[in-house]
Amino acid sequence: MLKMTHIRKVFRTDLVETHALRDISLNVAEGEFITITGPSGCGKTTFLNIAGLLETWTDGQYLLDGQDVAALSDFQRAKLRNQKIGFIFQSFNLMPDLNLFDNVDVPLRYRGMKGAERKDRIERALDSVGLLSRKKHLPSQLSGGQQQRVAIARALVGEPRFLLADEPTGNLDSNTAEGVMELLQSINDAGTTIIMVTHDPSLASRSARNIHFLDGRIAESDHIAVAGQLEAVS
Amino acid sequence: MEFGPILRALLRNKLGVVLIALQIAFTMTVIVNAVYIINQRGELMQRPSGVDEDNLFHIRSIGFGENFNEELAITDDLDRLRQTPGVVDATVINAIPVSNSGSSTGFSLEPGDRGSMVPSAIYYAGHRSLNTMGLELIAGVDFAESDVLIRPASSNTNAGSVIITRALAERLFSADAQSAVGQSIFTPSGQAIRVIGVVRQLQGPWPLWPEIENSAIFPEIVIDGSSMYLIRTEAGEQDRLMPAVEEMLAASNDQRILRQLRTMADTREESYRIDSVMTRILYVVIATLIFITAMGIVGLAVFSINRRRKQIGTRRALGATQGAILRYFLLENVMISGIGVLAGAALSIAFNIFLVQTFNMPRIDWFYIPAGMLVLLLVGQLAVVGPSRAAARIAPALATRSV
Ligand SMILES: Nc1ncnc2c1ncn2[C@@H]1O[C@H](COP(=O)(O)OP(=O)(O)OP(=O)(O)O)[C@@H](O)[C@H]1O
Ligand SMILES: [Mg+2]
Repeated sequence: MLKMTHIRKVFRTDLVETHALRDISLNVAEGEFITITGPSGCGKTTFLNIAGLLETWTDGQYLLDGQDVAALSDFQRAKLRNQKIGFIFQSFNLMPDLNLFDNVDVPLRYRGMKGAERKDRIERALDSVGLLSRKKHLPSQLSGGQQQRVAIARALVGEPRFLLADEPTGNLDSNTAEGVMELLQSINDAGTTIIMVTHDPSLASRSARNIHFLDGRIAESDHIAVAGQLEAVS
Repeated sequence: MEFGPILRALLRNKLGVVLIALQIAFTMTVIVNAVYIINQRGELMQRPSGVDEDNLFHIRSIGFGENFNEELAITDDLDRLRQTPGVVDATVINAIPVSNSGSSTGFSLEPGDRGSMVPSAIYYAGHRSLNTMGLELIAGVDFAESDVLIRPASSNTNAGSVIITRALAERLFSADAQSAVGQSIFTPSGQAIRVIGVVRQLQGPWPLWPEIENSAIFPEIVIDGSSMYLIRTEAGEQDRLMPAVEEMLAASNDQRILRQLRTMADTREESYRIDSVMTRILYVVIATLIFITAMGIVGLAVFSINRRRKQIGTRRALGATQGAILRYFLLENVMISGIGVLAGAALSIAFNIFLVQTFNMPRIDWFYIPAGMLVLLLVGQLAVVGPSRAAARIAPALATRSV
């Protein structure tokens, strides 16, 4: 569903050029759960931004669902993000002035969906993360883990095929992180493709495929589960 | 669109909203009432005086020589003036309409009835005053030359006939102008004066006088050492004739000096100068207030957008187009301004009631309120377009980048 070939990203300022991504080629199949690890500054977020159409790239080809997305206008990219991609952020990025219901509503509004259908979807999404009873609460009235669950509900409410998470557990303690991880896994089980950046090796080890970034390149790509299966076969 | 969420988010940040809304309300109140006052003044200034203002000028002759005979000089001067090519007519008069100086009296229907006197300006004018001023006689007859009374200033006895304005006739007789003709009215000293004619309009000399339309013309020439000549010219001849007339009068008699050569247009302009200055000041006040309010709106918008940069980036990441972000802030401004102009409508009316009660001003016309609301909503939208466009340009990558 995602195919990148020789993607490069150079940030240019007046003084310096930063090669955030040097040469990334990657294939992600529908339904995969991929974790990305690597030292700080190696380009993980940059990769995720490009994959999620938040940022353009310098060189290379990117096909999303077979569509060359380089040629898309800003407007078309926004529409595509809205329809196909869900985002989960390290610091949750909820709107502090909106209650949970309105927060989850945000992506649906941009889809121009009717009120009744929105309400139905929002309540199902909040229910699936166990926070329906608190839909009138403000984000500030929730714990970090609960806030991230709301953010997940927001990412899921539009039923995206593709979920991108940048250190979704980075601001959470390990117990809470575990809960979020389980939630993501169940989402993946339901068929959503997930790419998750994490610093936590134990979380990374639980995904079917872990990609290690180093200085803007893919250092190694382990098909743990597949490798495991292969071992079992041999 | 996102009416509900925007409103609910706004209600969580009341202070800034309330301050700006108050500023908008206050600005609208001042603007609405100021524009109303300006228009009121404009209407006052635009009222016709009833005389042929475009073609009238006047000049004062003041005798000083031992041998100066004012009565003879007047006869002689008027003859010369009327014979001057380009002059339509000329007369001698004690006061000029809308000039801010003249005399007034009161008339009653019964002698000595001081309680029910109707105030009126009085003009003492020589023969042919109606034609000179360009007044329209709507009932009765004009003065005959023999009606004209030549009297010293010390005499209190008036000529026996008078021509009054329609406004004065209607006030005195509570009936139409025609029925005033032939009736007698009484001066404060009890003298009976017969109304022989009614003119459509002739304003008194004082622009702000509430009774400005009440005027009476007595066929009298007052001999008091100084005479004002009113001269009506053919169209377009005024500029040429004014210096010529002054020269001609100066040459004809060296026992007097000539002063106050001035057109009606200048006279009017001078009389209403305070009003036009006030109007200009009000315009400056309006422009300043609008500017300050617009800056306040820009300030709040820039501040709140900068505070929400990451939220905007997140919205972009979640699928907001640039247009959606732009609309968000335009709509948010409509709501803030909407609260402001609703409060402004109430405040404008309250302030107008205060003006009506304290300064006896007329009530504001209803359409000033929606017009004021519309103008301030528009000011708000224009003010917020720049910041909103900047917000729309915030990169979606900001969602993952800044903390
Ligand atoms: N907008 C930008 N302008 C210039 N340089 C940038 C910009 N964004 C990222 N970079 C640079 O690109 C490189 C990769 O950054 P990126 O955020 O992708 O790293 P990361 O792997 O996500 O790091 P971390 O684990 O700390 O989040 C870094 O050197 C960073 O400084
Ligand atoms: Mg990062």
